[in-house]
Amino acid sequence: MPKHLIIGNGIAGVSAAEAIRALDPEGGITFIAREELLPYSRPMISNVLAGSADFSQLPIRGPDFYQDLGAEVVTGQEAVTLDLEDRTVTTSSGAQKDFDTLLIASGADPRKLKAKGAGAKGVFYLRSADDVRGILRALPGTTHALVLGGGLVGFKAAYGLLSRGVPVTMLIASGYPLSLQVDAEAGAMIQAELVKHGLSVEVGVEVTALETDTAGRVSRAQLSDGGALDCQLVVVGKGVWPSLGFIDPDQITVDAGVLVDDHMMTSRQGVYAAGDVAEHFDLARGTRWVNAIWPVAVEMGRIAGMNMAGRKVAYRGGLSRNVIRIFDLDVLTAGLVNPPEGEGYQVMARRNERLGIYRKLVFKDDHLMGATLVGQVEQGGVLMNAVSGRMPISGDKERLLEPGFNYAYLQPETAQAA
Amino acid sequence: MSYKTDYADLSIVTDTQLMLEKAAGDQVETVWDRFQAQQPHCGFCEMGLSCRICIMGPCRIDPFGEGPQKGVCGADAEIMVARNLGRMIAAGAASHSDHGRDLVEVLAKVAQGKAPGYSIKEPEKLKAVAAEYGIDSEGKDDLAIAGELADAMFEDYGSRKKSIALISRAPQQRQELWDKLGITPRGIDRETSEMMHRTHMGVDNDWVSILLHGMRNALSDGWGGSMIATEVSDILFGIPQPATSTVNLGVLKDDQVNIIVHGHNPVVSETIVAATQSPEMLRLAEEAGAKGINLAGVCCTGNELMMRHGMPMAGNHLSTELTLVTGAVEMMIVDYQCIMPAISDAAACYHTKMISTSDKAKFPGMEHHEFHPENAQEKANDLVRLAVENFANRDQNKVYIPVEPQEVVCGMSIEAIIGALGGSAGPLIDAIKAGKIRGAVGIVGCNNPRIKQDHGHVELTNRLIANDILVVDTGCVSVAHARAGLKTAEALAKAGPGLQEVCGALGIPPVLHLGSCVDNVRILVLLSALANTLGCDISDLPVAGSAPEWYSEKAATIGCYFVASGVFTHLGPMPPVTGSMKIVELLTAGLEDVVGATFAVEPDPEKAAEIISAHIEKKREALGLDSRA
Amino acid sequence: MKSVIVHPERCVGCMQCMPACATAHSEAKDMFLATLEDPRPRPRVHVGAGPAGEGFPNRCRHCDPAPCALACLPGAILRDTETDTVLIDPDLCINCASCAMACPFGVIRYHDDRTAPPGKVVAVKCDNCLERLGQGLIPACVEACQSGALTYEESDQALKRQTDQVAASTVAAAGAARPAAPGFELMMAVKRATKETNRTRA
Repeated sequence: MPKHLIIGNGIAGVSAAEAIRALDPEGGITFIAREELLPYSRPMISNVLAGSADFSQLPIRGPDFYQDLGAEVVTGQEAVTLDLEDRTVTTSSGAQKDFDTLLIASGADPRKLKAKGAGAKGVFYLRSADDVRGILRALPGTTHALVLGGGLVGFKAAYGLLSRGVPVTMLIASGYPLSLQVDAEAGAMIQAELVKHGLSVEVGVEVTALETDTAGRVSRAQLSDGGALDCQLVVVGKGVWPSLGFIDPDQITVDAGVLVDDHMMTSRQGVYAAGDVAEHFDLARGTRWVNAIWPVAVEMGRIAGMNMAGRKVAYRGGLSRNVIRIFDLDVLTAGLVNPPEGEGYQVMARRNERLGIYRKLVFKDDHLMGATLVGQVEQGGVLMNAVSGRMPISGDKERLLEPGFNYAYLQPETAQAA
Repeated sequence: MSYKTDYADLSIVTDTQLMLEKAAGDQVETVWDRFQAQQPHCGFCEMGLSCRICIMGPCRIDPFGEGPQKGVCGADAEIMVARNLGRMIAAGAASHSDHGRDLVEVLAKVAQGKAPGYSIKEPEKLKAVAAEYGIDSEGKDDLAIAGELADAMFEDYGSRKKSIALISRAPQQRQELWDKLGITPRGIDRETSEMMHRTHMGVDNDWVSILLHGMRNALSDGWGGSMIATEVSDILFGIPQPATSTVNLGVLKDDQVNIIVHGHNPVVSETIVAATQSPEMLRLAEEAGAKGINLAGVCCTGNELMMRHGMPMAGNHLSTELTLVTGAVEMMIVDYQCIMPAISDAAACYHTKMISTSDKAKFPGMEHHEFHPENAQEKANDLVRLAVENFANRDQNKVYIPVEPQEVVCGMSIEAIIGALGGSAGPLIDAIKAGKIRGAVGIVGCNNPRIKQDHGHVELTNRLIANDILVVDTGCVSVAHARAGLKTAEALAKAGPGLQEVCGALGIPPVLHLGSCVDNVRILVLLSALANTLGCDISDLPVAGSAPEWYSEKAATIGCYFVASGVFTHLGPMPPVTGSMKIVELLTAGLEDVVGATFAVEPDPEKAAEIISAHIEKKREALGLDSRA
Repeated sequence: MKSVIVHPERCVGCMQCMPACATAHSEAKDMFLATLEDPRPRPRVHVGAGPAGEGFPNRCRHCDPAPCALACLPGAILRDTETDTVLIDPDLCINCASCAMACPFGVIRYHDDRTAPPGKVVAVKCDNCLERLGQGLIPACVEACQSGALTYEESDQALKRQTDQVAASTVAAAGAARPAAPGFELMMAVKRATKETNRTRA
């Protein structure tokens, strides 16, 4: 009876465990869980921050999850060392767990702020449910908050704090808001929506040092442009980095993340990786990539689990995608958003001021490679699927930009029963 | 990277493309946005297979044969399609013919001396038409004749006659054919009223019989209401004479008070013309800081003014909203027909004042200033004054006049064409006989967002004139051709050698502007004159009609009176008849044996040109003329 | 198990399924009264248009596995195995639009609804008319459809019918029979030709 060991009880680990159990009713399944006991919806923590969901809604499985699954769990511990000869994992409490198959689904950690005073009270990241608990506790007495970083996390933090009535200034080191997710035009629309609701945005400015009050709580930020801003709360959103500190790169091949093959297996037989820690393939970029997003973690986890249970199933690759709702503005992106110049990409964009929508599509030859939608995002999945399914778009590509675009536009001329 | 909607797929017109871009920026919704939002269109309705005539229903018939095949009353696809088409024809006939009635009412008021803004401009035509109505003009003054003619014309609207008066203009053979088929129109209102009766549940349930009456109903308009409208307009406002004018949005002036007239009936706009030229108004305009008062038209009211006064035209049906998007229009004055109710929404984004004038045509967002023959002159002055006052409210930052105006030769009434030919149709007939001109085509109708604006018209016409086929136009087509520069001496370069030679010698362009859509009857009159000279029927002539971008019920009626008069007629958009292939068959083939002409549907103007050319060559062959068939 | 089968080639674009669906999901179950309700009931089936204006009744396929359910952050989308229906729990839904990004058919909409807490915007999609099925009725969209674009039948039966149709059309192609609806074919041919004519050629 095989022993399956899973590092991490995030969505990749959970999806893997459920896939294993569907194929292998008997095998042992053990989770090593660093955070909460019950697996929870990490992307939802920003909804909790904004007040549109509460902590009780975070768990994605019921209280009897482990029992129902027939799995064991060790909580509050993380993996410290892997012994691939003995096939054991040592945890932070010194416990040893042995395995026949191992899944590394340890997720990712936020990149730390590298400024003087970064460890002050009132400086938070937005990665875990605990982070949100801390931010919410720090809200009383906060008259002004700083958000560092103009990426998705920064925007979600800013949106959450604004929703709570806290004035926010966002500092973006370079580029424009959401420059990794959207193009400049959509970025400007998003910024305008946040500014309309009270956000201040400064581009080209970084924090050089944080000053604290007598209680050790952040009170003021020194800026790279020589200015300073009073603040009682700082949320750092500088991106995430795969959690692979416990992995010896001499034993398991590591790039930005843990490299996996199409079966989610690492360079070591029987050792798999999935989720934010794993580096597989990006369908739109056509290259190895860490797609640290929830839906890709679900897909990778399922594939990893099936393979761990002995069914050879291949993953075709992931696709960057995101959807955010900022006040009255919905933004959805999929695949390649800002293609490199001079590599034969065709870009089409259209903005309809009257309907308040903006759409940008990236094509290469007859294939849709990426889409950005601002407003009317309901058909985003259709475009996403056209990208990931490499559905050939024959004929008039402009039609995909029309406000009436829907699934029927992708149908071949003689539609068959669906 | 393309950042713009591809407006080139919506219109071939430069000013339309540019104004659509401005409309998008100004967040103005246009007819194309609404067209898009309506997709998909309801197939039952598009095929003529839905029926809302009674409330046992509404009913529809499944074109695939599995669902219901009969309405609650038992009407099958043929009956349903025929009834729907019949009512469409009735509505079109009612529209143009009611427009005609309004002119007869003015004529009657003029006769009574109760219409201070109007007079008899063409006493000779008054007498000529009166004679056709059997009125003896001897010893009577113009007003007395006008009174008698008005009464006689009112009679044509009624039900006491065996036939309406002006069918006497049709060739004898044609009149006899109508009699034989039982489709001689008896009264203008009568045929429309009877159509509504026949298509009530449980009346006429023989689809052929309904459609035959549809032709009679259409003829009552073409040789009745519409013909009266044109003739009385000529009598009251003058017979159009060749003139030059300008067209497209470039006719608007950024330093003048711009007033646009929109609709169809010249009764209101003729008084506006006079008011804009009054020294008092011009002085007011100057005081308001404007360099003058610029009156321009859109749609067929524009055509009426262009024909008789050489007034410039800003655009056709699909350009009406865009005219306002220029931000340069102080006032739009509408009468009726083809005025989109959404147009006030576009106006609301600018300072434009919207004015409705007819008791039978009121619109949301418009100020209503009702015109009657008695008060028209005074009302016109009031409106022009309001427009001048509104000049101060113009936001010059919002003004964008995108193009330079295009020159156009206009005003080709039948009288003017005969005049250009040297007093008789002889030279035209000779040119046709000699094969220099292969034939003639009347291109008429509207714009329709289904078809790229003006593409259907201009592409077809380019190909026809290159084939030495003379083109005459009316209505919204006339603007399309004018904008494309087809009604200038330079356009002769696009004509085939024969047409170029003949038109060049006569000093006319290869495309002739015959007027508004109600003026399609001028084509009937011209064809009758040609047939009578040649001693044949209209259906023998090497001619055709075409409505490449039609949208309206009026156009359906025009198409029917063309075909019923013997003119082979091409349609761009498909009418709602495909629910019955028997009716499709009748309209596109079977009618040949009935009235000597059929319809053809072809959205692609290139293919339409081939179809029409082939038809003309076939007719030439039958007449014993040289043929390229 | 019976399910709703979509036959897009049969859709005439009349949109009658849409108000029928909205009415089925109203309090009143009467089209006129339903229009007076607040929130106003909205359809779960959406008739979209193809490139030349072809009708296309777009409706949840209740996929298995369902991409929307896999993408759902709060776990609000679940399969009811008894009816093979993918359902959204409006109490759990947080209106994050993750399902919009996942649904390959674009059938999910976001609005308030009588099934959701008052004033809350939630993801809404086809529920296979479970309420009507419970009353012995067939799904409202199928009942409204008069052209055979939406049918309610055993899926293997539908498959067989389709096979028969393909076989029949092969025979027709050999010159034996006319198409089933020549008038409809003609109208669609004109529409496609019009679209082609309108396209600006370089």
